[in-house]
Amino acid sequence: MSSIIEVKNVSFGYFPQGSILQEVSFDVKVGTFLSIAGPNGAGKTTLLNLLCGLLRPQAGSIMIEAARIQSYSPRRLAQKIAVVRQEFVPVFDFTVAEVVSMARTPYLGTFGFDGKIDREAVSQALEATDTAQFAMRPMKNLSGGERQRVFIARALAQNTAIMLLDEPTSFLDLRHQVHIYDLLKAAQLEKGKTIVAITHDINLAAQYCDEILLLTGRRPAKQRPGNGTENPASYFIGKAKDIFSPAQIQDVFGVRVFTGKVGNENFFIPLGRFAKDSGQANSS
Amino acid sequence: MNKLWWLLLTIVCLAGAGFLILRIFPDQRPNAAAPATVVNRIVSLAPNLTEILFALGLGEKVVAVSSDSDYPPEAANKNKVGTFWQPNTEAIIASKPDLVITECFEQQKSVAVTLHRLGYRVLPLKIESIEAMLTAIKDIGDATGTQNRAGQLDEDITNRLDNLQSKLAARNKIKVLWVVQTEPLRVAGRNTFLNEFIELAGGQNAIGPTIQQYPPLSTEELLACGAQAIIQSAMGVDNIPEQQQAAEKFWGKWPTLSAVKNKRIYVIDPDTTLRLGPRLCQGLDLVAHCLHPDMDGHE
Amino acid sequence: MTQVLTAKSLGIRITFCLAALAVVMCLCALMGSQKVSLRKVFTGPGSSPGENIDYEILVGIRLPRVILAALVGAALACSGVVLQAILRNPLADPYILGISSGAGLGAIAAVLSGATWSFWGGSPIAAFAFVGAIITVWLVWLIGRATGKSQITNLLLAGVVINAFLSAVIMFLTSIARSDQVHSTIFWLMGNITEKGPSALGVSAGCILAGTVGLFGVSHRLNILSLGEQEAKSLGVDTAKTQIVAFALAAFITAIAVSLSGLVGFVGLVVPHGVRLVCGPDHRQLLPISAIIGGAFLVAADTLARIIVAPAQLPVGVITAIAGGPFFLVLLARHSRKISWLK
Repeated sequence: MSSIIEVKNVSFGYFPQGSILQEVSFDVKVGTFLSIAGPNGAGKTTLLNLLCGLLRPQAGSIMIEAARIQSYSPRRLAQKIAVVRQEFVPVFDFTVAEVVSMARTPYLGTFGFDGKIDREAVSQALEATDTAQFAMRPMKNLSGGERQRVFIARALAQNTAIMLLDEPTSFLDLRHQVHIYDLLKAAQLEKGKTIVAITHDINLAAQYCDEILLLTGRRPAKQRPGNGTENPASYFIGKAKDIFSPAQIQDVFGVRVFTGKVGNENFFIPLGRFAKDSGQANSS
Repeated sequence: MNKLWWLLLTIVCLAGAGFLILRIFPDQRPNAAAPATVVNRIVSLAPNLTEILFALGLGEKVVAVSSDSDYPPEAANKNKVGTFWQPNTEAIIASKPDLVITECFEQQKSVAVTLHRLGYRVLPLKIESIEAMLTAIKDIGDATGTQNRAGQLDEDITNRLDNLQSKLAARNKIKVLWVVQTEPLRVAGRNTFLNEFIELAGGQNAIGPTIQQYPPLSTEELLACGAQAIIQSAMGVDNIPEQQQAAEKFWGKWPTLSAVKNKRIYVIDPDTTLRLGPRLCQGLDLVAHCLHPDMDGHE
Repeated sequence: MTQVLTAKSLGIRITFCLAALAVVMCLCALMGSQKVSLRKVFTGPGSSPGENIDYEILVGIRLPRVILAALVGAALACSGVVLQAILRNPLADPYILGISSGAGLGAIAAVLSGATWSFWGGSPIAAFAFVGAIITVWLVWLIGRATGKSQITNLLLAGVVINAFLSAVIMFLTSIARSDQVHSTIFWLMGNITEKGPSALGVSAGCILAGTVGLFGVSHRLNILSLGEQEAKSLGVDTAKTQIVAFALAAFITAIAVSLSGLVGFVGLVVPHGVRLVCGPDHRQLLPISAIIGGAFLVAADTLARIIVAPAQLPVGVITAIAGGPFFLVLLARHSRKISWLK
């Protein structure tokens, strides 16, 4: 299976904080679901912005479909990568249908009048995300969950090979969280899209993703994950069960977790000072 | 590629529109101001121009004036074509004039240009000094075929001015402060008509040269200027006696001023009294008598 | 209007509005302080001036004036739409980025310098005002860019600062000017529609039309831009280029409008809002329709200004303020929920 995204020795830093990402290298295979996890400030959003071409790496290179990301014009890149960001409310009163139709911009002419293909893509996307019922409603009149689904619909309508998402479920209730991830997984499995999503919820990540990229936010040079011992690495990449272990989580997030098992998969519940411990771990 | 098309489109639009409209309404070529043909209908857009016209005996030929043309009384009864600052071009055209006389500042100049473009005869005059006024009278005479009377009027005015000067020649110049506004206190500077009038009337501006035409004056400067007479611009001609009383009360605040001590405070309306027109000399005479009450002789 | 726009529906709406504009322009050309009979007009111009005054008044005075009012109104409304989109601020108007004070400074400089102009030629105030406006806008853009890559806040702040500074300079110049010069400047600043010659009118018409058409070409990208800069970039829109092009064109047509007629207020602020309420925020529709409605609005306002105190006339800026102010308040009150400026 070929790699659709190749990140080679990429470094980036904001002035004057210094570098956030140092010599990160990883590949994303076509049609896989990668989750980017890590504590706040570890550089997850920065990495996402690098992947979608918004930021330029200060060292190293990023290849999309075996071509350097810089070699793409913004329009061509938008035909390959769709980005779903956290929250925005349009300043003007656009309706859901209008916002989703804007996704077709990379394929349209100067005036942006859409053709049959575009209209079909839009209606399919609305159907898939179950948002067709309020297609004519202004964006401002939607709830958080509905809005998020509209953003996903927009990304779907853009019909790209790659979808990048920045915490797509951060403000959503349980039902919508699951719904969104189901949507993304369906898009991956049924349409062969490559999904890269930043997520805070490590359990959902573990359930849905094929691979996890864990950014630790530390400076030192990279290393492959070892077993158990403290690794001063800046990032890890691998399967969920390899990356997420209580020791790793404690090390990276600084939080004690209770580990449980569902079938073959692990799940983790964070334990703070006042958590109701049952079974493992003694309260401090 | 798209960008290029847009650029092309814009250039074509620009050129096309300009060209098209130019073709439909060709700019009329102005010919030099035609020599005096018979002029029967005159429109005047300024009060001093109206006065000059009447003084040249053309009163009957005047068909319309600006709304502030109030002298002579017959002028006040003529049709009005807008104000001094905003003449109404349509009304001017409706008066079917043979000659339109205007001032030269922006608003009137653009009216003049429009009328000229439509083929009317326009005479714009810049009257900003007594010298210019005399020339303007001559120009009006030329344009209306009344050169003799114009020459006579000019001579008349010049003689009276000279007369006035000779009477005042031997006398000391009185220090005058001409106040145009009391709140805040602003006076006429050295660079104004009022200053010219002061000097012609045998006075001298109490303040030195300033960068502003009508500088605001602080109390300190006021007390230091040593004004022997204060002339205050009236606000409208309606209630001069009341304005005089109010002014005396106002200046009573500074009893140390020479002008106040000697009760040499005068309220004068420069718009009517000192209009740059045929009555200028009368106005100057009035001011001169204020400054030098013991002047002998009367016109 | 909640349907997604198609080329055909847009074409129909624009045609309809243009027809309405033509009707308004014709009606207003027939109104004025003098009565004009259409029949006499059609007998053509007389061989000498004064023969057919109806023709002269209608074609020589009123028609150019109505055309100018339509052009200026269109330019200001169009520019208002664009600036509100770029700055993502519904309270933006065409003068917000220094154009007003730049043009005012140019005008007062022209008046003070007493520039002599060929008596039958163009007016120096217009030229100076245009140059002043363009230079100021360019300055504001430079400052806004220098203090951070096209950040909207910096642009707005730069505009406010420059406006304040130039206004102070204007105040100083006004204080040392002669009274008739002051009067001239103030009148110019209030905004007036006057009769211009055909060449001036033709050139300005070409420029404003070209600018408006250019902006129409950018209007789809303005839609995307209003989603936010990052979002727009992710959809393949070159945000920097779009902003520069839209801003430059809007500033250009505003500078031309201002040089022709002084600072006519409220058109660029109120008309886009009103049209947005009826037609929705899609700029492909909002822009051309705002331009047309802006033209009609100013034609009507100018006609009122001519008629209401005839034979004197009010500056058209007075009418637009009196009409626009309360309208804006009503807009705000009734639709304060709709007009939200959350970012």
